[in-house]
Amino acid sequence: MAAAAVYGGMKGGKLGVEESHERQLNRIRITLSSKNVKNLEKVCADLVKGAKDKQLKVKGPVRIPTKVLHITTRKSPCGEGTNTWDRFEFRIHKRVIDLISSPDVVKQITSITIEPGVEVEVTIADV
Amino acid sequence: MGGGGRKPRNFATFRLFPRAGATDPNDRVFIRVDNNDYSVPGFGDDEPYDPSLFQTDAAADHFSPTSGPLPEHVRREILELGLPDDGYNYLHHLRELRPTAATASSSFVPNQTAPPLPLDVKAYDASRVRIASGKAEDELDEGRTMCKVATKTAPVRRIERAVDPDIARLLDETDVFHGGSEGEGLEEDFVIMANRAEGDEEADDEDEEMVGDVFLSDVEEDEELKDDEGEPKQRVRRLLDEQFDLLALEEYGDSDDDNDGGVRDAECELPTEVIDELKLFHNQNVSVTEEYRTPADFVRGKLDMSTTEDVNESANVIQKCAEYAERYLNETAEEEVVPVSESSDESEMWDCETIVSTYSNLDNHPGKIQTPGNPKKRRLPKVFPGETAIVDIIKLHGKEKLPVEYLPQSKRNSGKEKKAKPAEAPSAEKFKKEVHKETKEEKKERKAAVKEEKREARKAKKELKGMYKFETQKAQKVAAVTGPASIRLM
Repeated sequence: MAAAAVYGGMKGGKLGVEESHERQLNRIRITLSSKNVKNLEKVCADLVKGAKDKQLKVKGPVRIPTKVLHITTRKSPCGEGTNTWDRFEFRIHKRVIDLISSPDVVKQITSITIEPGVEVEVTIADV
Repeated sequence: MGGGGRKPRNFATFRLFPRAGATDPNDRVFIRVDNNDYSVPGFGDDEPYDPSLFQTDAAADHFSPTSGPLPEHVRREILELGLPDDGYNYLHHLRELRPTAATASSSFVPNQTAPPLPLDVKAYDASRVRIASGKAEDELDEGRTMCKVATKTAPVRRIERAVDPDIARLLDETDVFHGGSEGEGLEEDFVIMANRAEGDEEADDEDEEMVGDVFLSDVEEDEELKDDEGEPKQRVRRLLDEQFDLLALEEYGDSDDDNDGGVRDAECELPTEVIDELKLFHNQNVSVTEEYRTPADFVRGKLDMSTTEDVNESANVIQKCAEYAERYLNETAEEEVVPVSESSDESEMWDCETIVSTYSNLDNHPGKIQTPGNPKKRRLPKVFPGETAIVDIIKLHGKEKLPVEYLPQSKRNSGKEKKAKPAEAPSAEKFKKEVHKETKEEKKERKAAVKEEKREARKAKKELKGMYKFETQKAQKVAAVTGPASIRLM
């Protein structure tokens, strides 16, 4: 997975004094992807806000370049007629948010911010 | 890649998926999507087994049924549900009722308000209506009400009492009225009685009886009317009523006032003249119940009961009819209107206006007379290909309006044609002059030449057509990417 390579780079990062003794902290990467920019941005904002409220270290949201998938087809169902073409596109937006916290906190946060059409992927690694 | 140098995969990836079978898209769970050996305590990797959440057979297998008593919270929950506490985990058989799409539509909640009634239906609350029962045993009941009869009537909105109190009151009044009418009400033949009192001087008893009969038939209807009208008069008499009575008395003479409070005794107070007329009417034997009699019958004496009067009258009638007929005939003969056409010398001479006015536009379609003009002047004079004089007009041919002669490929063709055609023209002339000197070979040559020309022409046409299509296709390809689809090129 690409996450592995990325994590290799991230592991060297400093943690700071915020390591709590009661709960275990992990490095958490939340990847949000969606077709809909508006919803996506809203979810991002909510997540970041939620994390900041809980005094977690937050990095992001990092905007990955949008992937545009094109589909160009003939408009006509048969071969007759002027050769007109349809150009459809499908845009995928991706945002990445990094946190350092315990997993249950993250679970809380992600359960609150709810928006349809946004896909959430959480990767948890050691600090 | 190689096997060495692979970084240790110390991470776990979870993805939010919507819960299976849930309508709410916000109902999501984290599900692990990678195969690494990393475990995360908080994300369900090693969560304690919660039987209320994981109701699957696989989960049940993990928890062997023979292992000791159930955990306390499980037992409590089972007890709460009312199920017996016998060591079996009934919660396996439970399903959390989430408002899924299926259940949301299928759960039945009977609506409190019945659907509004259609306009042509009226609902009544008949719960208090007492049902009359003829049997003696039913007397033991306090009286059956609709309530007991139909206990399962659906509750209906906007119900009305089955028996409207006002109407009930009125109905009761009428009952009272009818009850007391035997002694005080109208007699069936009150009219006859009244007339008898009046017309005692009449000689014929027969007449009276007949009158009575006739009157009866008329009166029956009136009586019915009377009954209806008599009802509202049961109310308190007002000053107005008294006044009306007085007026009626004045108007219709001192007729008998049989009915107390009865005002509209039209039959009793018929004027004597009317009564006489009616009697006459009856005497004329034109009543409906009997046979139809014509005056002629009277005259010829076919009737038994005909009196001289009748005969004379009938005869008179017949005579009068005959007179009228004759007069009519005569009049029509005399007063015949003859349309005379005024013929005078002036009008005999027809002039063109008059003649034209007699024509009808159905047959005659007049139009303005014009000098015959030259037809079809609008087109430009054709430039023949042979003419070399006029060359500066660029002609656009075809659907795409291409300048045929100036297209790159066709230049040589047009040159060929130009050369060919002038060559042909003089040769044609030549042949016309020397037509008698033509030999077989020359004829063959000529024909072959013509054929050749035609073949060439065909080839050129095909090439041109192909070129057209090629050009338009190229243009289309460009337009498909750049221009809007509204422009049709082919």
